[in-house]
Amino acid sequence: MAQIFPPQWNKLPIVAAIAGSLVPALAIAFVWYFFSPWYTDVGYRPDQPVPYSHKLHVGELGLDCRYCHASVEISNVANLPPTQTCMNCHQVVKRDSVKLAPIRESATSGRPMRWIRVHELPDYAYFTHRMHVAGGIGCVTCHGRVDEMETVTQTTPLSMGWCLDCHRNPGPNRRPVSEVTNMKWSPPRDFQTLAAALDRERPVNPPTDCSGCHR
Amino acid sequence: MSRTYWRSLAQFEDRPEFHTALEREFLEEGPSELAPGVTRREMMTLVGASLSLAGLAGCRRPVEEIVPYVTAPEDMIPGIPRYYATTMPFGRSAYGLIVESHEGRPTKIEGNPGHPASLGASSARIQASVLGLYDPDRSQTVRLKEATKSWSDFVTAWGVLAEAHAADGGAGLAVLSESFSSPTLARLASELRARYPKATWATYEAVSDENRLAGLRSATGRDVDLMLRLDQASVIVALDADPLLTDPEMILHTRGFAAGRRAGASGGAMNRLYAVEGVYSLTGAMADHRLRLESRLIAPFVAALATRLALPAAGAANVAGADVPGVDPRWIDALAKDLLANRGKGLIVVGERQPAAVHAAVCALNTALGNTGKTVSYFETKDAALPSVSSLASLVSAIQAGAVQTLVILGGNPVFDAPVDLDFAAAMAKVPHSIALGHAVDETSSRAEWHIPRAHYLESWGDARAVGGTISVVQPLILPLFGGRTSVEVLGLMVGGKDRPGYDIVRDTWKPILGEGEFDSKWNRVLHDGLLAGSALPEVVPTLTAPAVAELSGGAAGGSGDLEVVFLPSPALHDGRFANDGWLQELPDPLTKLTWDNPALVSPKTAETLGLESEDSIRLDYASRSLELPVWILPGMADGVVALTLGYGRLRAGRIGSGVGFDAFTVRGSKAPGFDRGAKITRVARPYPLSATQNHGSMEGRPLVRESTLAELRSQPAAGQEPAEGAHAEDSKPAPKKGGGALGVFPEHTPHFSLWNPHTYDRGHQWGMTIDLNACTGCNACITACQSENNIPVVGKVQVKNGREMHWLRVDRYFSGDPSGSPEIVFQPVPCMHCEDAPCEQVCPVAATVHDGEGLNVMVYNRCIGTRYCSNNCPYKVRRFNFFNFTKDTPDSLKLAMNPDVTVRARGVMEKCTYCTQRINRVKIDARLAGKEVRDGDVKTACQQACPASAIEFGDLRDPSSRVAKAKADSRNYALLEELNTKPRTTYLAKVRNPNPELEGPAA
Repeated sequence: MAQIFPPQWNKLPIVAAIAGSLVPALAIAFVWYFFSPWYTDVGYRPDQPVPYSHKLHVGELGLDCRYCHASVEISNVANLPPTQTCMNCHQVVKRDSVKLAPIRESATSGRPMRWIRVHELPDYAYFTHRMHVAGGIGCVTCHGRVDEMETVTQTTPLSMGWCLDCHRNPGPNRRPVSEVTNMKWSPPRDFQTLAAALDRERPVNPPTDCSGCHR
Repeated sequence: MSRTYWRSLAQFEDRPEFHTALEREFLEEGPSELAPGVTRREMMTLVGASLSLAGLAGCRRPVEEIVPYVTAPEDMIPGIPRYYATTMPFGRSAYGLIVESHEGRPTKIEGNPGHPASLGASSARIQASVLGLYDPDRSQTVRLKEATKSWSDFVTAWGVLAEAHAADGGAGLAVLSESFSSPTLARLASELRARYPKATWATYEAVSDENRLAGLRSATGRDVDLMLRLDQASVIVALDADPLLTDPEMILHTRGFAAGRRAGASGGAMNRLYAVEGVYSLTGAMADHRLRLESRLIAPFVAALATRLALPAAGAANVAGADVPGVDPRWIDALAKDLLANRGKGLIVVGERQPAAVHAAVCALNTALGNTGKTVSYFETKDAALPSVSSLASLVSAIQAGAVQTLVILGGNPVFDAPVDLDFAAAMAKVPHSIALGHAVDETSSRAEWHIPRAHYLESWGDARAVGGTISVVQPLILPLFGGRTSVEVLGLMVGGKDRPGYDIVRDTWKPILGEGEFDSKWNRVLHDGLLAGSALPEVVPTLTAPAVAELSGGAAGGSGDLEVVFLPSPALHDGRFANDGWLQELPDPLTKLTWDNPALVSPKTAETLGLESEDSIRLDYASRSLELPVWILPGMADGVVALTLGYGRLRAGRIGSGVGFDAFTVRGSKAPGFDRGAKITRVARPYPLSATQNHGSMEGRPLVRESTLAELRSQPAAGQEPAEGAHAEDSKPAPKKGGGALGVFPEHTPHFSLWNPHTYDRGHQWGMTIDLNACTGCNACITACQSENNIPVVGKVQVKNGREMHWLRVDRYFSGDPSGSPEIVFQPVPCMHCEDAPCEQVCPVAATVHDGEGLNVMVYNRCIGTRYCSNNCPYKVRRFNFFNFTKDTPDSLKLAMNPDVTVRARGVMEKCTYCTQRINRVKIDARLAGKEVRDGDVKTACQQACPASAIEFGDLRDPSSRVAKAKADSRNYALLEELNTKPRTTYLAKVRNPNPELEGPAA
């Protein structure tokens, strides 16, 4: 009588054991990464009504962030510039550029520009730029090397876990307030000494309670 | 002192409906659907569809736009609110305000601390007026009959009319205005009279203080009004008066009254309030002694009082005049003795309903007692249009005689609220050209030939004189949303024939006031302050000191068997002008706790005589007019009195207010607009459900409110801490209560053993709150302030009946005493207690409600999955659940009223008081960036800031010098349901009454 289970079936328990442990692990890993903002949000790069190049304006021409985002130090929001700010230069520079037509159109008609928001937090999260700037968190820390971006791209997940990583240990991300808008600043070799100095000068106590950000 | 407290007659009589309310926080079974008609099968389809849609939508990131300015306004920083001073005119009153504006849209209104009429506080109506600005039912265009026209069309049309009227000196021209007190409007009105000398001017207010003005005119010989200084008064007598709620100056009065109460509780002299009234008013609820007396017997009461005060010139005061039918003479004796013992510190206030003779007599009594200039002062009514029913009556007869060609109605809604016997609608139809300026196409505007949309005060330039005469400036926060015009602009057009902006017209008025030199800098100072400093009017001293007693005795006559009908202004809607304001419609009435309705109010005994139950429908016959409406039994009403609340039953108010309630104006005549005999009630066999919140949030009848008397407090410092007996006989614990020793610890409780690891709250700020029940008058300003600050939705009458109202802060009202007599009332505002060991936190399966390091019990909306365990476990019943997506259908314009600093909650999410965490955070961030410490008083919660009585203190408990820490050190401090060991951060200060030892027990 032929055997019911051929010999190769002897491997079944091992295969089953490996698969049984691997598949859930892979599934968890899959969800962990692909459902997370690391995958869904990072890299978001919408086309803007005007292909404004931060690489040109910041990287090459050396404009300071605050020339356009003027309220970043005093308000919760870092404003987008009014059309007038663009026209300060562009009524002289590149005044006939086709790409700038919407800006000129806005300036003459009085209809505002409609930019696409890149860095977006949920409506129940209340972020404040002014506190982060005052605490010495550089623009780069959250927004990436904007001076190298042709089109603004989200480079960090802006998820709650990511926020909390820094709120629980802000030291490594702090820099002198004078360097906040410096895109090229990198921490000195003895960054721990700097962190300690900054902490002495202006100790920060970022909230980790829910009410710190959710209202 | 042991009392039994009860929330409603149902509880007093232990009826089953109270038990239902007790056992179920949300009364209806299960989360039923908003609208009827969705069957289960359809529901499954919908669920399936929305799931698949949600699946798709979840994969896509929502695209959000950022729309910056084209040209940035100077000084406007996105994300930083700005604050402007302005003024809310209200009849002849004016409230100075500070309005918060986010990116150009006003969102929150607060009182202006520098203004004499608001003193930094506000009222429910002031708070809710911001919703009126964004009301989507406001009219949006000029209308000629039904056709849409423009303002310039009207200007042209007016030019033709003006030419015709100029020919005959304006003989056919009539203006009907609301009463006002405004330098600019007064200037324009006098210029109008100069230009059209034969024109008619009528001023009408449905809720009018005409009688008081007439009485004061006879007492002083001039047009004067009065200003009460309750803070200076030791003995206050309110005769059919409600200075603490329906009076336009309720903020000023409440602040003064509360100051006198607080002073007593902290060792100084405490004022004593006597109330004599037929309808239970808020003032009556605060009274130490309350006498139920029909309104028509107030005049004889004043005569009896005057006789007892034994004033030298009291006239022929014989003994016969010293009695009031049905009143124990000893009551009046004791009152008179108290007033005489407090000469110069007493105050008699009489209600607007009472006839002029009573007002004159009371003015004389106050003067004779030396109170004038101390507790009450008089000032000229300058720049004012004084209300007069007779001016409206003569206007109507002029129209009926065909003498009026053009009628200009400057605001107001006379078709709705004019006396019914004048039949204003019929008269208006006879005028060839009628022009109505109004906020909406309402009852009046829809009948006018021309309708002009009226600008809201937050869109207007104008000015107004506040109580005492201080000139305040009305400054717009926003351009008119719907192209409205102000009465200043319409009058300006009528006077000058030119279309001029209100700004120019107002500045023209102010040039002589401020002087030409450096006008602009003085003007800017006025705009900054919101008022002209030092513009209060001098006091007028009345000459009359002898009341004409003989004139007062006549009122007692009248047939027996009939009921006395009393017309009340609505505390929320006033005369109906706020009917389309959802916040005010859903605001529980302070006394009845009713929302969305205005039943006739009767006493339990009257109801028994007539065989009525609450929510029965009745037909009320009075002066050959009749009105069908529901009835509500309010303990403490005088027997034989039926009270009708005005302002409801609007037909063309808008989507909120149309058809809500019953129109009491349809039975109110011009002869007796206040009260009258001769009403009859017949029961109609049809119940009418009413939505009252009085049984909502019952806390199992445990001892909740605590009160004491001044004498007890003096003899035994912790007397206020004796817990009163619970309402439920079986729940009340007969354990012996002793005055406490240490604060907040009751001897009957053994030291608590907590199952939880103790939290340590020893770092940073530790927020806490106290609510002084002794100061709180239950006026509801806090509820509306909270609603405005925290984007709290309106749910509607049906959902309120189901116990689903969303107010984060409710004001519980407890009766104690005999319901057939005059039961006493205690009000208790109940927000979230922010327990240190919070029962809600321990049962949340998803940690959506947790504690933060500063002692706040935080609600995390984005974690909440809506199990409602927390609400079930909350002993204070302060959690509110979004059974529906109440904000989903919010019209776009109303979204502009939302506070951008507070999340708008979705369906299925629990919410509750947050201690205004957004305000705490803003202050902390501002202080940090300015390199300062957060000082006591920097953080004010919305309820605290609005409270006219300053009953709420909020601050850092770790700072021993903070006001809240000092309040918690008061011997009257107690925690609600302290025996549960929840360690609430919000505590209460017990109420203290100050009864006259000569009057034992509450008067019936």
